[in-house]
Amino acid sequence: MSDSVDPSASPEPVVPEPDSEPAGEASGFETDGEATVTTEPMDFMAVALTTFTTVFLAELGDKTQLAALLLSAESGRPGLVFAGAALALICSSLVGVLLGRWLAAVMPAQRLERISGVLMVSLGLWLGGQASLGLLQPVLTLPNP
Amino acid sequence: MQLPLLASTFLTVFVAELGDKTQLTIVTISGTSSNTLAVFLGSAGALVLASLLGALAGGSLSSLIPPDALQLAASLGFLVIGLRLILRSGTDAP
Repeated sequence: MSDSVDPSASPEPVVPEPDSEPAGEASGFETDGEATVTTEPMDFMAVALTTFTTVFLAELGDKTQLAALLLSAESGRPGLVFAGAALALICSSLVGVLLGRWLAAVMPAQRLERISGVLMVSLGLWLGGQASLGLLQPVLTLPNP
Repeated sequence: MQLPLLASTFLTVFVAELGDKTQLTIVTISGTSSNTLAVFLGSAGALVLASLLGALAGGSLSSLIPPDALQLAASLGFLVIGLRLILRSGTDAP
């Protein structure tokens, strides 16, 4: 047990998690023994901000935006379209989060980390390649067949 | 008369989003992080804000910022997260 105070501790209250966890973890804050997934207790805001930035950047200019734009232009009711899109996105991110929790429960943490890492790197390479090609298209000026 | 538009928007966006790279990202982050609520709030907020910008700005946003530049920045984020995960899986004690 340690008395060390986190120097970067923020005064805002930590929102408790919903009761999706088994009761065995309820007592210890940081002094769990062997099989914990977390190597360091990541700050709530840090996790939320990392997720926010990545997802926001990935999503902006994607096809969801395109769909919202099209529907909005057709109907002339952007408020309603936004409500539908927001609901769908919240549900879809809930599905993703639950899928991730399930994977973490059925798979060893190390293997899941490796698979996820390879997936993210290849996704990054593919996305970066596509974007670079798109950015370089006016420069290259490929001849049209 | 408002319900069909709401439902069609919901279905279109929800189906378009299933299996998308964004959802893969959320699965990845959620599976390798212990803070489920933070991941959910961060991803849902980002998606809602991105679609709000899409619905409000419309075509003017893509003329202001080229989407390819945004995707390039996102791909760098993917690379950083992926490399960190691979490194972490290598240093973890089995």
